[in-house]
Amino acid sequence: MKIAVCVKQVPDSEVRLNLPGPVPELDRSAFTMVINPYDQFAVEEAVRIKERLGHGDITAVTVGPAAKVREMLKKDCLAVGCDRAVIVDDAALAGADPLAVAEVLAAVLRRDRYDLVLCGIKAIDDDSSQVGVMLAELLDWPHVGYIGSLDITGDGLTARREIEGGVEVVASPLPCVLTCGKGLNEPRLPSLPNIMKAGMKPVEVIDCAGLGLTPPAPLTAVKEYTPPPPRGACVMITADDDAAAARELARRLHEEAKII
Amino acid sequence: MPNIAVFIEQRAGQIKQVAWQMLSEARHLVDAHGGEVWGVHWHAADCDVSTTAGRYGAHKVVTATAPEFERYDSELWTQALAQFVQQHKPDLLLIGSTAMGKDLAPRLAARLRTACISDAVGLSWEDGLVVKRPVYAGKCFAHVTARSVCPVVGIRPNAFALRETGDTAAAVVFKPVLDASRARASVTAVETAAAGKAALTEAEIVVSGGRGIKGPENYRLIEDLAGALGAAAGASRAIVDAGWVDYSHQVGQTGKTVAPNLYVACGISGAIQHLAGMSSSKCIVAINKDPAAPIFKVADYGIAGDLFAVLPALTEAVREFKR
Ligand SMILES: Cc1cc2nc3c(=O)[nH]c(=O)nc-3n(C[C@H](O)[C@H](O)[C@H](O)COP(=O)(O)OP(=O)(O)OC[C@H]3O[C@@H](n4cnc5c(N)ncnc54)[C@H](O)[C@@H]3O)c2cc1C
Repeated sequence: MKIAVCVKQVPDSEVRLNLPGPVPELDRSAFTMVINPYDQFAVEEAVRIKERLGHGDITAVTVGPAAKVREMLKKDCLAVGCDRAVIVDDAALAGADPLAVAEVLAAVLRRDRYDLVLCGIKAIDDDSSQVGVMLAELLDWPHVGYIGSLDITGDGLTARREIEGGVEVVASPLPCVLTCGKGLNEPRLPSLPNIMKAGMKPVEVIDCAGLGLTPPAPLTAVKEYTPPPPRGACVMITADDDAAAARELARRLHEEAKII
Repeated sequence: MPNIAVFIEQRAGQIKQVAWQMLSEARHLVDAHGGEVWGVHWHAADCDVSTTAGRYGAHKVVTATAPEFERYDSELWTQALAQFVQQHKPDLLLIGSTAMGKDLAPRLAARLRTACISDAVGLSWEDGLVVKRPVYAGKCFAHVTARSVCPVVGIRPNAFALRETGDTAAAVVFKPVLDASRARASVTAVETAAAGKAALTEAEIVVSGGRGIKGPENYRLIEDLAGALGAAAGASRAIVDAGWVDYSHQVGQTGKTVAPNLYVACGISGAIQHLAGMSSSKCIVAINKDPAAPIFKVADYGIAGDLFAVLPALTEAVREFKR
């Protein structure tokens, strides 16, 4: 089983933006960068599949500047069980939107022919939830999105995905693209010896030309970023005791806020 | 001037509320800028939504009936919507950012090689379309423009208010050519959750519990209040990771994003990753015994108190008002 896992480097979830007002671009220079937490579920699932089958080869693929993403690939992918990594590093991809990124990833995946591709359900920076599904379309493969459990059976798979008010059970042949969510597994942490050994695993750095691809032009662009509207001060409800405060809260939600 | 198409999602015989919200907002937009609002709806058995769609602003509803529409399939839905876009040529297509919408919109956009923008909370028409959407888990908004014909824009449930401004919509029959042999990943079963449990992402009220509830046995305090309010029950990651409640309840950066009319956070500190999932709620209530808890910074109403005393009294008071 040849598996690819697509990963993205994103700002840490603790990052604060504190925009003074509308800005044309975010200053990302001080952000601490980490692997997208959803991609960790994808990496872990790939490693578990390989462990269960007793064979397989896992490639982590990312689009981004090699100097920045190398450490992430080593620590969060190669040290936890991926066998190799591909970095698509091309300055022309700086403003890439999800469809452009999907086209680049599709070029890598077509070149190397995989049986299964795992992605995170979304990246926690632009929160788009698009790349995995677009990738499936560009490869002309089926996909199952937002999976919460997975069973590989010979040349196919069965996955469960949460929908509003229930769960869908989806069966698909291979090859297939899966997008992975929380609940699927508990990602393992890399051990120190494995991080050391990961340094020996092959990492290929390539650009669009190397993939025989003209850098795809983005179809969307961010005009500006604005801070969220300020929220009014919190009305603290005080009363003789907690139960009285609760009744006062209910009254205000009924009379002032008119919600109940 | 834009003609805006709105995908009217139907699941298990139910139309998603976000469909009416999108029609309302689309109508608001075309009333200011010209153009029309078109609903797109399909189903396995005859069912006419044009009256309701008209009421929320649709000028016409393009409808298709085929046995293949019994159960959602990303490939067949993509085929049908792609044919609709090619034949009717709308300037913009809105799809709810639901489980189905998030599955469908990116595949459709990639097939049509058109721009795709998800989880929008605002639409405006300046020189062209400008879409407002939260990024960085709601820490800021991005205002996004599209450089292609008929962008596909996902709309977050509850972002737009319902407006009953239209009258009647004309029903237009549409006959997509479906190639079922191309459908490869297929839904083999749908397991529905226990009846009466509102879906978190669509609920108008959400009551969530955090580590302050002390143990899984006390989650029932959250469920009782949720029951009294007709709300969905949510949770912080701390109690999901502790195994007290299922992951499907988690609100936040690695859980669900919700924007209900009322969000009640009980025993939740207000970590930045939790705020990510709920800070765009219209009214936020926080109940926390620590008056310095960060959750109060985003709350509209707060009680600095013990949830074990507050919640039963609040549940009782809510029941009183409802009587
Ligand atoms: C990558 C990443 C992603 C994450 N994603 C999420 C996410 O999606 N959702 C999420 O929620 N978190 C997420 N977190 C975790 C987040 O950082 C917090 O750890 C978590 O939200 C804390 O949950 P809590 O508020 O329930 O617990 P605590 O922070 O422990 O807060 C418990 C609160 O209960 C109050 N309390 C205690 N007893 C009582 C009482 N008797 N009455 C009233 N109040 C009481 C306390 O004062 C305290 O404020 C994420 C973290 C990371 C690093």
